[in-house]
Amino acid sequence: MNVQDKDRARDRSGAWENAGRTVGKPMPLVDGVEKVSGRARYTADLAEDALTGRILRSPVSHGRIVRIDTSAAEALKGVVAVVTGADCAMTYGVIPIAMNEYPMARDKVRYRGEPIAAVAALDAETAARALDLIEVEIEELPAYYIAADSRAPDAVLLHDNKAGNIEREVHHTFGDVAEGFREADLVAEDSFDCAEINHAMMEPHAALAEYDPEWERLTLHSVTQVPFYVHLMLARCLEMDSSRVRVVKPYVGGGFGARTETLNFEIIAALLARKVGGKVMMKLSREESFLTHRGRPNTQVKLKIGMTRDGRITATECEAVMSGGAYAGYGIVTILYAGALLHGLYDIPNIKYDGYRVYTNSPPCGAMRGHGTVDVRHAFESLLDRMARQLGLDPFAVRRANLLEAPLFTANGLMVNSYGLPECLDKVEKASGWAERKGKLPKGRGLGMACSHYVSGAAKPVHWTGEPHAVVAMKLDFDGSVTVLTGASDIGQGSTTIVALAAAEVLGIEMGRIRVVTNDSVITPKDNGSYSSRVTFMVGNAAIEAAKAMRAKLVAAAAKKLEVAPEEIECEGETFFVAGSSQSVLPFHDVAIAALAEEGTINVKGTFSTPIEAQGGKHRGGAVGSTMGFSYGAQVVEVSVDEDTGQIAVEKVWVALDCGYAINPLAVEGQIEGSVWMGMGQGLSEETHYIKGLPAHGNLTDYRFPTIAESPPIDVQIVESIDPLGPFGAKEAGEGALSGFPPALVNAVADAVGVDMNALPLTPDRLIEALTKLRRANKNRRAETREAV
Amino acid sequence: MTEVLPQFKIVTPDCVEAAIAALAGAPDARACAGGTDIVVALRKGLSETGTLVDLTGIAALRETATGADGGMVIGAGVTLAAIERMPEIGERYPAIARAAAAVAGPTHREVATLGGNLCLDTRCVYYNQSHWWRKSNDFCLKYRGDTCHVAPQGNRCRAAFSGDMAPALMAHGAEIEIAGPDGTRRLPLAEFYHEDGAAHLALNPGEIVVAAHLPPAGGVSDYAKIRVRGAIDFPLAGVAVATEPGSAGTTFRIAVTGTNSKPLLVDFPDALTGESNADAFFAAMQKAVQKAVSPQRTTTIAPHYRRLSVSALTARVARGLVGLAA
Repeated sequence: MNVQDKDRARDRSGAWENAGRTVGKPMPLVDGVEKVSGRARYTADLAEDALTGRILRSPVSHGRIVRIDTSAAEALKGVVAVVTGADCAMTYGVIPIAMNEYPMARDKVRYRGEPIAAVAALDAETAARALDLIEVEIEELPAYYIAADSRAPDAVLLHDNKAGNIEREVHHTFGDVAEGFREADLVAEDSFDCAEINHAMMEPHAALAEYDPEWERLTLHSVTQVPFYVHLMLARCLEMDSSRVRVVKPYVGGGFGARTETLNFEIIAALLARKVGGKVMMKLSREESFLTHRGRPNTQVKLKIGMTRDGRITATECEAVMSGGAYAGYGIVTILYAGALLHGLYDIPNIKYDGYRVYTNSPPCGAMRGHGTVDVRHAFESLLDRMARQLGLDPFAVRRANLLEAPLFTANGLMVNSYGLPECLDKVEKASGWAERKGKLPKGRGLGMACSHYVSGAAKPVHWTGEPHAVVAMKLDFDGSVTVLTGASDIGQGSTTIVALAAAEVLGIEMGRIRVVTNDSVITPKDNGSYSSRVTFMVGNAAIEAAKAMRAKLVAAAAKKLEVAPEEIECEGETFFVAGSSQSVLPFHDVAIAALAEEGTINVKGTFSTPIEAQGGKHRGGAVGSTMGFSYGAQVVEVSVDEDTGQIAVEKVWVALDCGYAINPLAVEGQIEGSVWMGMGQGLSEETHYIKGLPAHGNLTDYRFPTIAESPPIDVQIVESIDPLGPFGAKEAGEGALSGFPPALVNAVADAVGVDMNALPLTPDRLIEALTKLRRANKNRRAETREAV
Repeated sequence: MTEVLPQFKIVTPDCVEAAIAALAGAPDARACAGGTDIVVALRKGLSETGTLVDLTGIAALRETATGADGGMVIGAGVTLAAIERMPEIGERYPAIARAAAAVAGPTHREVATLGGNLCLDTRCVYYNQSHWWRKSNDFCLKYRGDTCHVAPQGNRCRAAFSGDMAPALMAHGAEIEIAGPDGTRRLPLAEFYHEDGAAHLALNPGEIVVAAHLPPAGGVSDYAKIRVRGAIDFPLAGVAVATEPGSAGTTFRIAVTGTNSKPLLVDFPDALTGESNADAFFAAMQKAVQKAVSPQRTTTIAPHYRRLSVSALTARVARGLVGLAA
C-alpha cells in the first residue's frame, strides 16, 4: 500500500477520519501465539470430569421409524442417560420460516447418519457399546440422492408440505432479457455441474454442555461461529427461558460456514446434560463432522449469455438446481444468493434467474465460504472466456467492456458505493505478464483468469428484530486498561485483532493496553456471529463508535485539566496534548484517572446498523445479496497439465482483491491466500462422494483437499477503493477471492490442452476422459476432412 | 466401536525371538511397528486385538547391511524416512528411495517402517470406513460380512494392495526374510503376496518380516505414483521400473501396485536394443501393463483411469531410465 492510499483513507473514511497510525500496518493476530504454541484451549480440551456423549445415527437414507428400544442400553453399567427424538418435540433451523429439523429424528429419518438417539456414559467405550444395544426398527422408503430423482413426478416426498421435493423456487427477471439477446451478436449456452463440497475445517465438531439442576440453568461451550443463534435454538428446543441459557465460544479451529447455524449435536449435548443433571462432552469424529455437513451443494447451472461483437454483455439467463440434502438449513438463502450475485460484478442490464433448491436424502447442505455464489460464478466466468475466444477477444478486454461505475444500484437493487475491479484487473494482468505470455506458452501449459465479488455482511439478518447489527462495549478502569467486549466470533479469521486495532487507532494507545473479551453470553454483548463476511464491516464500525465515545470522555477530562476547549485536544502515542503545543502533555493513565473522577469506571458502547438503502430490492427474496459493499477480485492462474496422467499442477496464482482498506494487511493477505487455496480445492480435487447415501469421503484421506504439495506461490495484491461506509474504508477480505479460482483454473486448462471442462472438480480421471474424447473428435474430424478432400 | 481405541495390552520385546514368542502366545496378538496402519484400523474397528506386540524396541530390525552377494539387507524396522535419506539406497536403488519418499506425509514416514509398508493391509472404499458405516452396509467379505460390494458376483475380496515399497523392491528382485516359530525362511518378495484382498500376505501365525534382501543393482530404476494429491494419498496405482543391461539389450523389470490385491510383476521380457523401434517397444510395454492390471472400484476414482494412467506412466518412467524423452 502506498502513501497516497493512506491519504485517501484519511480523507474519505466514513466512520473515522484518522486512519493510519495503528491500522494499515501488518499485525500478527493478537491470539496467534496462543494458538501456535498450543496454549489455546479449544472445546474438546474442556472435557475434564464430563460424561461422554455419543450419537446413534440412522443406517438408512429414508424411512419411517417404527420402534426404538433403548432399554438394553439404559441397563448397561456405566450408561447414565439415553435420549431419543421423544425427548425433544421442537424443531430448529436458522431461517425462522424453514425450521424443519429435529435434533433427533422423530417419525422419519431422511439421511444416512441422521441422529436417532444419544447416550451419556462414564467413558467412550461404554458409550459406543450402548449405541450397539439400542434397537431401531425402520420401514424403508425410496431414497433420492440427486435433484432430478427427487423431482421425478412419482417421487415420495421427504417433507409432506413441500410438493415436488422443492424447498424453494426462485424466479427473478430484471430488465428485458429477450430484447437483450436480440441485441447480441453472439449468444452462447452451456451447462455446468459443480460437485458438492465440504468445509473440512481442521477442528472436528465438539460441544460441552453443563446443566445446573439447582438453578435450572444451562451452559454450553461449542465450536460455533454463531453463539447467538445457538443460544436461541437451545432455549427453543429445551423449552427454557433464554435467560437460563449461557453460551460460550472458546477458541475455534476454523468454520468456513460449517458452524453458521445451530447444529444437532449442540442441542443433543444439552438434552443429555439436562437429563443427567451434569456435564456432557460431545466430541464428534471426523466422519461425524462430515455427516453434519452444511457444505456447498451439488449445483447444476444452465447458463446463457448474450454478447456484442465488442464484448459487451447484453443479457444473461441462468438456471441453478441445487441438491440440498434432507433439511432446509440455509437452503433458501443459498438459492437466492446464487441469483442475486449474478448482479453487482459487471454491468448487465438484463438478467433472468430461475433457482430450484431441492430436497435429497443426504446430509443437509448449508453455508460455505462464498455462500451460494461460487458455482454460478464458476459457470459465468467459464462461459465468458469461451465467448471471448469465439469472438477473438482477450479475456481481460471482455471484463473491461462490462465494468460498473460506482456509486450505483444494480438492476436488483444492490448498493455499490466502491468498485476496485478495474484496478484489480490491471494489477493481475501486469503481474502475470499476461500480455506477453498468453498464447505463447508451450503445449501443456496455460494461463486463465476470472473475476469475483462477495458481500461485506448481509444487510438484513435472518432474525430481523430491528436492533443494531452489532454492539461493542468498552470499559476503562482505574488501572488504565481498556477492555473491549464483543460477541464477534473469531474462528481464525482475525476478528478479535480487528476490534483491538480499531480501539487502538481511535484512542491512540498501544495494543498491550487493550484486552478483547469475546463470546460469553453472560459477559459480552450479543452479536449475530461470523458469517457473510459481516464482522469487520459491522463490528469494526461498532468498535470505532465505542472507541470514539470513550475518546470523547477522555478528551473532555484532558481539556478540563489543561483548561482548554475539547476541540483543541489531540490524542496520540498514549498521550493527550493541546494541538500545536509541545508543552502540557498528559499521559493516558493520568487522563483516565481524571475521567474516572467524574463518573467512576467508564463504560461506553458503539453500535452499527445497516442503512435502509443497503437492504436490497423490494422483490421477494430481495434482502439476500444486499450489503453495504462488495469486495472485488481478479486472478490469473497458471497451470501445467500432464496429458498422460491427467494431473494438473497449479504453477502460480496472481490475485488482487479490493477490500476497501486493509486494516490489517497481514491478515488480509492471509485471507486472500486462504480463499484462493480453498477455491483451488474445489477446482482441483475436493468433492463428497456418497455410496447410496453413505459418505465415502468421511475422512481426510478420501476427502482430498489440497496438501502443501499442491500449494502454488500466490502473488497477492491489495486494492483499496476506500468504501464510504466501511470502517476506515474497509470491506470484506475473506471470501471474495474464492470463486474466481475454479473458473480461472478451467480457463487455464482450456488454454493448456484445449479442453473445456464443465464439471468440477478437475480430477485426473475427469481430465483424461475429456482428453480422450477430444482426441477421438479430432481424429474423426481429420478423417472427415480427408474424405471431403 | 467407531473411533474409540479399544483396550489392549502392549508388550515390548527386545529381540526377534521374544516377539515371535509373544505373537505365538496370544492368538489375537498383532505386530505393530510405526502403527500408522494398525492403530487407524483398531480405531475404526477393522481389527480386534488384546495384545499389540511393539517391534520398535528390537535393534536388529533397524539395521542395514551389505549382503554377502554385494547387495543390501534392509531391516524391516528401518523407517521410511531413513530409507528416503540413506545415500546408499538413493544411489544404488533409486526406485526404493523414491517409493519411500512417496508414502503418505513426512510425519508418517518418520515412524512408518519398511516391514509395515510391505505388510500394509489392503484397502477398499467399502472397508476403510467406520463401524457405523460398515454396519449400515452389512459389512463386507473382507471383514464380518459375506459379500464383496466391489464385485458382488465374485467369491473373493477385491481390496487393493496399496503399499509403495513392494513394487520398488520387486523391481530390484528383492527377497523377503521371515522369522517365525519354525525358524526363518526367505522367498522372492513377489511370492509373499496372494491375489486375495482378505488374505493377501503369506505370513503364518507367529511370523514377522525381519528384512528385505536386495541383490546388487545391475541398472537404474525409478518409481512413480498416480494420486490426486502430491502427499498423503495412497497410490491409485504406482509403478517401479528397473533396467537390466545385458548383451542382448536392456530389459525392464516392471512392478505395479494399487491395481490388484497384490503387487504385480509385469511380464515383459523384450529387450531394447540399438535396432529397436523405441516407440513401438514402449507402446508394447504400455499394452503389457494395461493387460496385466485389473483395477476395481475400490476407490472413488474410476478403474479405467487407473489402468490407462499407470500404463502411460510405466512407459514414461522406462523411457526416462534409458534417456529417452517421454
